[in-house]
Amino acid sequence: MHNPPMTCRRGLFLVVAAAAVMGCGGMKDDRPAKWSFIAPTIIEPSCATVNCHSAIGQRAGVDLHDRATGYQTLVGRNFAVPFNPDQSEVLFLMRAQGSERMPPDVPLPNADIDLIESWIMAGAMDN
Amino acid sequence: MRKLLLAFIAAAAATVGFARGAAAYPQFQFSSGTNKCSQCHFSPAGTGLISSWGRSESGDTISMAGDGGFLHGAVTLPSWLALGADFRGAGTRTDDGGPEAPSGAIFPMQADIYARFAFNDAISLYLENGVRGETRPSDPSVGGRLSGVPDRFISREHYLMWRPSATGPYVRFGRFFAPYGLRFVEHIYFVRRFTGFNLYEETYTASGGYVADDWELHVSGFVPPPSGFPDMLQSVGARESGGVAYYEKRFAAGTSVAGALALQARVGVATELARYMGGAVGKLWIEPAKILFLGEADFIRQQVSDASYGQTQFVSYSGLSVFPVRGVMVSAAYERFQENMSVSTTARNAYDGQINLFPYAHCEVVFLGRYLQVGAANQPAATLMMLQLHYYL
Repeated sequence: MHNPPMTCRRGLFLVVAAAAVMGCGGMKDDRPAKWSFIAPTIIEPSCATVNCHSAIGQRAGVDLHDRATGYQTLVGRNFAVPFNPDQSEVLFLMRAQGSERMPPDVPLPNADIDLIESWIMAGAMDN
Repeated sequence: MRKLLLAFIAAAAATVGFARGAAAYPQFQFSSGTNKCSQCHFSPAGTGLISSWGRSESGDTISMAGDGGFLHGAVTLPSWLALGADFRGAGTRTDDGGPEAPSGAIFPMQADIYARFAFNDAISLYLENGVRGETRPSDPSVGGRLSGVPDRFISREHYLMWRPSATGPYVRFGRFFAPYGLRFVEHIYFVRRFTGFNLYEETYTASGGYVADDWELHVSGFVPPPSGFPDMLQSVGARESGGVAYYEKRFAAGTSVAGALALQARVGVATELARYMGGAVGKLWIEPAKILFLGEADFIRQQVSDASYGQTQFVSYSGLSVFPVRGVMVSAAYERFQENMSVSTTARNAYDGQINLFPYAHCEVVFLGRYLQVGAANQPAATLMMLQLHYYL
């Protein structure tokens, strides 16, 4: 088996490098403000890490490792108060308003926090 | 039978230390004179316990001085037994613009013990055990379910492998990450953090493949640990089942300019979410300049059936490592994770600078700086500074 010419190899690498720095997207956020979306795409990958709010970590007694448990934790313990974002501690934590920011390793984009706020304003349902 | 018994005794004895993550240093591919990961690791795809060749390289090529052998060469183990350990401690300073920032922490990061038992020339058993590290300082007011060290025992890797020779086919079954991506030791990098390869997300995996001098192929199927398993065998993250394929082709290995290009795909399906991922990995080593370019880019399609919504994500790493003198590695990288490619304000960008010093075999000092920009431009940036001390047995 022969190797391709060096220029070809460099070209392949440049393709990977170019793809690695790309980014795009618009400003309109059409994501659903539903717990069935928020739990697996935002909460679990950002918060349910091993030493934080995973099933085996449960930092501060908070377990967010799956949709049902996370809902029970956030709404059942009033971290998210339906229709009332001003009383929802989870938003204060995520925005670092008077407390340590959550999550502490990689903060959430405001767009994600706004989506969670929209879900709370709509009643914080397990939908 | 005696070896098997010894294996399990050693496995029990190995549960004494802080587990972190079995990964590797892809920066040493090509730069250390080796052209494939399995030259230095027992695993056919790299990561984990290093082989006698890897130990030799770590002393003779990577570190400034010293003997890379087990116990610094003081003990020669029988050929059927390989042992090792990793110990890491770190100090961090983080600043995310919040009211309690900046904050600092000093913590045990890793204590893993490894054992590999070769039953014959082809079949081996690999066991890793340790204790999960605690990044954040203990505070009873925010205490979790776990309190003492025994509660944090974990075995992230244990597998049985058939691999009759260094090159050629292999099969392995057990708990380990399916081969995918650059496989950095730094689990904070987005290409690990957001792709199913974060800390303690190892799955139960059946993997087979072929390793040749200038290419390798790994095909894997995986499932999450059964829910009835104890904590020390559990993992975190999405409880996905699925498959992974990774094909790497190497070019001009051993010459002044060498490289590799890999194509990869992963499918993971869980109750709440299905994830379809594909991408590429590129490496380019320029020997005269002692510089290695590394890149990975993946597109991820997430489908959330209960929400009737799908989104496409993008994650990447673009970096370079320079080796100005033996025992010193200086790296810089740009990372990007875009959570939803239709919404530009869901992006995360990270700029990393890192210096790895290997002053003596078995010893490593790491300085890491990270500048993290999340979301829209008006969000405050976060910074991380870390000093890490690493000793391996």
